[in-house]
Amino acid sequence: MKISYNWLKWYVPEAPSAEKLVDIFNYHLCEVESVEHRVFNKEEDWILDLKILPNRAHDLLSHQGIARELTSLLNIKFIDPTPKYKIPESKPTKLIQTIESSNCRRYMGRVIRNIKIGPSPEWVIKHLEAIGQRSINNIVDATNIVMFDCGQPAHVFNLSRVKNLKLKVRNANKGEKITLLGGVEKTLDETMMVIADDLGNSLDIAGIKGGNYAELDKDTKDIVLECANFDPTSVRKTAQALNIFTDARKRFENDLSPELAAFGMLELSALILEMCPEAIFEDVIDVYPKKQEGKKLFFSTDRISKILGIEVSDKEIEGILNRYVFEYVYKKGKFEITIPPMRLDLATEEDMAEEIGRILGYNKVKENIPKIDFKPKINETYAKIISARNKLLNEGYSEVMTYTFCDQGEIEVKNSASDKKFLRTNLSDGFKESIKLNHANIALLGLKEIKVFEIGTVFTKNREQINVCYGDKKNITEVSLDDFCKNMSSNFSLKPITYNLETKFKMWSLFPFIVRDIAVFVLENVKSREVEKIIKKNMGNMVIRGPEIFDEFKKENKISYAFRLVFQSYDRTLTDIEVKGVMDKITEKIKENKGWQVR
Amino acid sequence: MGTEHPLSILANQAYQAFSEMGFEIGTGPELETDWYNFYVLNFPKDHPALDMQDTFWIKEDAKHVLRTHTTTVTARELEKAGKEGRLPAAFISVGKVFRNEATDITHEMQFFQIDGGMVGENITLADLKGVLTNFYKKMLGPDVEIEFRPSFFPFTEPSIEVFAKFKGKWLEMMGAGMLHPNVLRNIGLDPSKVQGFAFGGGLDRIAMIKWDIPDVRLFYQGDLRLNQFQNKT
Repeated sequence: MKISYNWLKWYVPEAPSAEKLVDIFNYHLCEVESVEHRVFNKEEDWILDLKILPNRAHDLLSHQGIARELTSLLNIKFIDPTPKYKIPESKPTKLIQTIESSNCRRYMGRVIRNIKIGPSPEWVIKHLEAIGQRSINNIVDATNIVMFDCGQPAHVFNLSRVKNLKLKVRNANKGEKITLLGGVEKTLDETMMVIADDLGNSLDIAGIKGGNYAELDKDTKDIVLECANFDPTSVRKTAQALNIFTDARKRFENDLSPELAAFGMLELSALILEMCPEAIFEDVIDVYPKKQEGKKLFFSTDRISKILGIEVSDKEIEGILNRYVFEYVYKKGKFEITIPPMRLDLATEEDMAEEIGRILGYNKVKENIPKIDFKPKINETYAKIISARNKLLNEGYSEVMTYTFCDQGEIEVKNSASDKKFLRTNLSDGFKESIKLNHANIALLGLKEIKVFEIGTVFTKNREQINVCYGDKKNITEVSLDDFCKNMSSNFSLKPITYNLETKFKMWSLFPFIVRDIAVFVLENVKSREVEKIIKKNMGNMVIRGPEIFDEFKKENKISYAFRLVFQSYDRTLTDIEVKGVMDKITEKIKENKGWQVR
Repeated sequence: MGTEHPLSILANQAYQAFSEMGFEIGTGPELETDWYNFYVLNFPKDHPALDMQDTFWIKEDAKHVLRTHTTTVTARELEKAGKEGRLPAAFISVGKVFRNEATDITHEMQFFQIDGGMVGENITLADLKGVLTNFYKKMLGPDVEIEFRPSFFPFTEPSIEVFAKFKGKWLEMMGAGMLHPNVLRNIGLDPSKVQGFAFGGGLDRIAMIKWDIPDVRLFYQGDLRLNQFQNKT
């Protein structure tokens, strides 16, 4: 959720600097994913992108939500905009609304006549653009401002398309089609919910996206406002099935309070009055079959302390409850609070522990190592893995890990982000690729032969098992871990091999390497390291491995030493010509020694 | 002597650190039921919280998923320990997990998670902090500090994010919190009698931070150039 610092300041005039806010949010509310500094018409702003946690998405996906949280957290003043949202006069209405689906929890509508579609005031454009939204026209902008300001999605219909002034919230018919704003057509079914007119035309997919049938145009004069509340699961399932992502969906699927709709309607009406002073407002029709129940929550100071591992006092808790404007009754270490309608996340004592913990700050939690005499058992699978791994390492095999996903198998995953959609039925196939890769790099690795193993899970229909695969270029053996360990001694060491973990990892070059060998005949009293010294001195800085002696033999009174050099650069592909230049130089320098000969 | 994969080396080191604190090693299936992956862990059905997981669902088998976390193992082992009357108990597991997302240098469809939990009568967030501080000091060095920040997971309440300060920078390391009472009930325990914590995070990430390995995908190429660590003997 993008929050504009300037927008936030409307409600929190004492807000600390944007920089300080980042820390406050990170440590007491949620992660700040980014901060962007913006200048709009010479006015500075900071845009904080907050990763609102799912359990607070019903009240914090809005500037007012964040403002209320922040002012309670810091115990500073919140400027409530409600008193300034006043509609001077409202006339009786003929609008009729019916709810036929239990997934609509509240439906508020209001007819407004004599509006004028046009550009938005500058502050509206500024607010919307600050959070990455585009200004469309004054009326559409007003609905967006309401959603990002208080969190209530709102919608506006063209009144001329609402036949007989009747709106109906009903389940769609199977196969019913709707063309959405923007022109995409969707086919609905009976699990989905629409807002329809009296003739059966669907105007809107409830809580998700409006249709183009009742879209406003530049000449629209009369409109119907909608502020409603829909069941989160229903909205989520419909939007998923139709593959539609909108800001309205995001809010409804996180379970908004139906109480919020009334504030949304108030704010939306006031904004439209500001934009269209000539507008004539009719009364709000509010269909609200089952009012949101008030809930109570009981918790004790002791239990909160026992969960957090901090000594929390009654006084600290009372301070928090007062700042957050929770009504409460206190009796002998126990609190009974009335949960505000917007705080649907609070239901249990543990929820209050989190609330109090994050507000106080988790830095209050001090480290403690529990002194409990646990009686752990040995895990047989792990014991077998360690035993198999140590055995293979000792036999000279090196360990690799390859991918679980492959091109064919018996079990297929749905909707993979990759084209490898099957789970491996064996390790051998991926293993062969590993052997091939390592063989190509054998000179780089400085190995004489490639011997590798993998211990990993394979999948066949109705069964998964851990296999052990080991081998070289010629032979690959794959058996189940159980079979591999059949003859495992009962008193084998469970101790893994210990490593020098101060070793620094060095990333290898991603460019090709070139291998060159050089064999030198010298008199038999000349040591190999004398030759090596000359090679080293003249080989330049492109040698990644070597010189390594790999062959040595005597012939008459002479001895031959063969060295291998591997050339590779970290920043480019080396050419044969430049490597030849180095080899020529080495050859030349070797020849300068009397009786030395390059073969 | 062959060379060992860095993630195996690190997993063993982690197991050792936790074993010294009394944790028992746990293992479990990679192809997991939706019950253990989600619903035992208090994920509501058809809830946005499921979107946090990028799950691989299995074709023609609505009941199974590739596990998205090894909290499945923690839940299974704690359930078993409860049935066997072996509480208080603590479990640690390192296992492969799967996320259906595009890969890049920090994201891979398969990676290893280190996951654990402790349940007893008076286990608190302070114990969690003690255990994890001890662990990260062993993994990343004695100068490491850790801190908790607010977070959300369906299976913990309170939920926190664990950050570690390594070479002067705060890094996000794992998610954790106190096991949600619904989870305790789902695994047959009585939340009015026992409570505990759970934590889980990427092992690959610790390896990358510790050794400055630049790309998570290097771990699964079968490339022996990765095995740069020499044993002590």
